[in-house]
Amino acid sequence: MNIKRFRKELFSRSKLRAIIAIFVFLALWELGSRSNEWFGFTPPWIGHVPAPTAVLVAWYALLGDPGYWQSWYLSTLRVLAGFFAAMLIGIPLGLFMAVNKTFNGIVFPAFEILRPIPPLAWVPASIIFWPTQELSIAFVTFLGAFYTIVINVVGGAKSIDVRFFQSAQSMGSSQWDVFRRVVLPATLPSIVVGSAVGMGITWEVVVAAEMISGGGGGETGSGGGLGFFIWNSYVGGSYEQIVVGMISIGIAGFICSELLRKLGSFFTPWLKKR
Amino acid sequence: MEIDQTVALLKRSMPFQTVPNDVLEAIAKLARYESYARGDVIYHQGDFADDVYIVSSGAVQHTLGIGFQAIHPEKILHSGDVFGWAAVLENQRSRLAKTVCLERTELIRINGEELINLFKASPETGDIVMSRFATMINKEYTLPEEVAGHVPHFTQVPVTVATGLTLTMFRLSQWLKSPKPYLMLTGFGILLATWYFTVEVWKLPRFVDMPGLTEVFKEWFSKDPIYGLSIYTPEYYQHIWVSVRRILIAFFLATVLGVPLGLFLGWSKTFREYVFPVFETLRPIPILAWVPLAILMFQGSETPVIFLTFLASFYATALNTMLGVETIDESYSRAAACLGASKWQTFKEVIVPGAMPFIFTGLQISIGVAWFSLVAGEMVSGEFGLGYVINTSYTMVRYPTIVIGMITLGIVGYVSSALVRVAGDYMMQWRVRELALGGR
Repeated sequence: MNIKRFRKELFSRSKLRAIIAIFVFLALWELGSRSNEWFGFTPPWIGHVPAPTAVLVAWYALLGDPGYWQSWYLSTLRVLAGFFAAMLIGIPLGLFMAVNKTFNGIVFPAFEILRPIPPLAWVPASIIFWPTQELSIAFVTFLGAFYTIVINVVGGAKSIDVRFFQSAQSMGSSQWDVFRRVVLPATLPSIVVGSAVGMGITWEVVVAAEMISGGGGGETGSGGGLGFFIWNSYVGGSYEQIVVGMISIGIAGFICSELLRKLGSFFTPWLKKR
Repeated sequence: MEIDQTVALLKRSMPFQTVPNDVLEAIAKLARYESYARGDVIYHQGDFADDVYIVSSGAVQHTLGIGFQAIHPEKILHSGDVFGWAAVLENQRSRLAKTVCLERTELIRINGEELINLFKASPETGDIVMSRFATMINKEYTLPEEVAGHVPHFTQVPVTVATGLTLTMFRLSQWLKSPKPYLMLTGFGILLATWYFTVEVWKLPRFVDMPGLTEVFKEWFSKDPIYGLSIYTPEYYQHIWVSVRRILIAFFLATVLGVPLGLFLGWSKTFREYVFPVFETLRPIPILAWVPLAILMFQGSETPVIFLTFLASFYATALNTMLGVETIDESYSRAAACLGASKWQTFKEVIVPGAMPFIFTGLQISIGVAWFSLVAGEMVSGEFGLGYVINTSYTMVRYPTIVIGMITLGIVGYVSSALVRVAGDYMMQWRVRELALGGR
């Protein structure tokens, strides 16, 4: 029975169509990339991209390479460091801004004028400021997630119905109780959303920061990370590895976001019932 | 209520704000004080309009009747707000709205005819008050000019409806009286002071390498900049223009391609089942990981940067548009089909307008991520542009120029998002008006 349902699920029309679509996409890609050797004609754009089969071969060769896994490890480490720092500072700051009007009035405008500066524009300044390259990459990563998390926390806390506060206070709850029983549960969903979005941005930023600091600074080997791996493959002319790197980052980002979503729904079980 | 208190309340209200004190006292003598409980109806639509009301405390819900073509028929009034202005209109002696108290409310009422008679004695003041009434009716109650045109005037000079400037000035003065601007200045002050003191006065360890506040601003506004980039050099504007042009091209392409794709993805199930999986497989790859591949695919230095910017905007626009189509109530399409609409008509009349709000949300996100990836693209490859300025200033050790580039980027980025938001609000206004008139 269970197997039957599983098969039904697997071979449902939408799944089938998805599989067909991806195969067609891969086939077109292969055709476009190989058309130079097969037909002696290079189509624009796609003609310069390595073929999927070539990418698979390159990937297979890399699986046994410790340097490749080292890149995974380094990037993940930087993402996690930046992301947790952003959570650790961003969530309390956002909550405090939502609770205290005066503090909000002072901090929010200053926060808002810094926000339009893209995190990557901070890369050179952060390299100058932080003593090690590791710290400067982590700082830019932190900035990427920080803005999103703070904005989401403030937004979530501000949209709480005033009546919840009033009823809690009229039933004699202390400041701490109001915070613990009203503010925190009400903002948790937006904290989860903010973190998920922030995680996505963190991966974007880490890749670019690794490329810029590695590619621009010329400190070969010391940087590491998947972004650096891609850039190095580009400089070294092994174009298949660029695509391998891109897919690896895609997978890593996807896993992180999914884990975060699972963790989020674990902390906000009441949202599932709707 | 004391006369002084009434005068103070009148001074806080939009129409009476600029009236001289002696006239205000005369008006205050006309005022009667009343209080209502929560849920009380002050008047219904169509009642005889005798008095003008000013809220002293509490909250009143003001609902304009259908047929007056208000853009926003609902309005909540708080302390200092004026309503019941039908009592001072010419040729209008019945209430246009229904008003209900939302909580315990205290207010003063002034007889409209007595007020008009009082202004006949001081026509100049009367005209100012009445033109402010007209502005208020137009802007605050969003009623078209015909209604505001009924406002009487006393001198021979014809009264025109005041422009929004009066209202803007009023809001500005209210804002200046609140603590907000001072807190804001404190915040900016702390930010700039931290920068100044840590770098240039105390010379704290790591901070001393950073470009300082005065150094950056001297360079930025210098006629003869040391590192060659300030508001007086043409290169500065050339870099800004190059970045803006890239954004414009990428944003335009992303909108032109992303909106139709999103609409079709949401509209046709078959199309979505075939196309969306490919879209979803490519999406987790960060835009910035595309940089080297983009350089390979598009030869040269200009196209790769535009492609990256485009890609980021494209995802945001297409996804939000699709989401917008999905949120449209199925029954609208069914109703259209029942009335004999063809597939194309349903698409044009139901799907496209229904997805509008989401499309604009998407465009706002899209312009943000466009700047985000433009900077990355310019830093890694490309000649000219603000990202390029920041990166080369670093490699050439022109540190103050880095900060000039960052600040400029922030300003230009902010202005472009604001423009998209204003454009969206403008289009939405049309939609809101349509919704409000929908009940007619």
